[in-house]
Amino acid sequence: MDRARIVWQFATVRELVEETAHAKTVRLDLPDWPGHAAGQHVDVRLTAEDGYQTERSYSIASAPEQAGLALTVERIDDGEVSPYLVDELRSGDELELRGPIGGHFIWRIADGGPLLLVAGGSGLVPLMSMLRHRSAQGSAVDTRLLLSARSLIDVLYRDELAMLGRGDGLAVHQTLTRDRPAGWPGFARRVDAEMLVSVGPTPAHRPRIFICGPTAFVEQAADLLVEIGHDPAAIRAERFGPTGG
Amino acid sequence: MTDGAMWLDGNAIGGLLQELFGTDLTRAPRTCQSCGTVHPIGAHRLYRGAGLVLRCPACGDLALRIVALPDGHVLHLEGSWRIEILAPNR
Repeated sequence: MDRARIVWQFATVRELVEETAHAKTVRLDLPDWPGHAAGQHVDVRLTAEDGYQTERSYSIASAPEQAGLALTVERIDDGEVSPYLVDELRSGDELELRGPIGGHFIWRIADGGPLLLVAGGSGLVPLMSMLRHRSAQGSAVDTRLLLSARSLIDVLYRDELAMLGRGDGLAVHQTLTRDRPAGWPGFARRVDAEMLVSVGPTPAHRPRIFICGPTAFVEQAADLLVEIGHDPAAIRAERFGPTGG
Repeated sequence: MTDGAMWLDGNAIGGLLQELFGTDLTRAPRTCQSCGTVHPIGAHRLYRGAGLVLRCPACGDLALRIVALPDGHVLHLEGSWRIEILAPNR
């Protein structure tokens, strides 16, 4: 393990990118950043004028190979932090954060595959860091992404996913649970066992499995994966609950 | 998705644990005093209330309670934790 003191530091907002109607990517420049592994997160701390402080964790969206740090934040309407980050933050502002954090929910090229990534909504963010890392390294490791979203307009990184999905070894599967455009070629229901079997890889191929999404989504997906024969020890999960924001 | 489940993963307090212990604990394996299973801290269940409570993902027994005080934190650890802390200047 790394001996890693973790200190709060101020990052400067370089750019904000609107990803969907509810989510923005915040690109940050940091004076002192040790680098991160795909899947890690940062803690963001806001301080009010009266000194009141509150913190939230946000997954890192950018690959370790990319300059700076990108977080993608989805607005939770009654949240304490995300409405500020999505609606109020401007380029040039400072943002206090610490990280990178976590050594459990991470994937490095050297860890190998095959990989099965299962995302519910904005649970795609840390998995996108893994896909970007894989792509930056020119890896063709067998990777299956299953992304569940309510409708197409809620899907983060849509164009980039389409582009990555044309590369070697990566299959991007999407299921839209509420609204579908006419002629939608993907899945059109909540994640179930049949869908997971169809996405693969089979348990015999011993994939490394990463699931990220709301707690209930992760529970359901993890239970189904065990039910169809995957090793519980191969499943790593990151949940964000209703207390987020 | 409407979400009735109120817990997160140990991952979510990775930053706080790293602040308190000076090393990443999300990978640290813990043996449950109750059911004997071994899971990394990052895979434990985290409940947030007046304090923070971490529970075994297999049986739900207590793993850690953290209470924040104005001038620090109080921790109660249960079970067997394996924590690797490298010497400084490494």
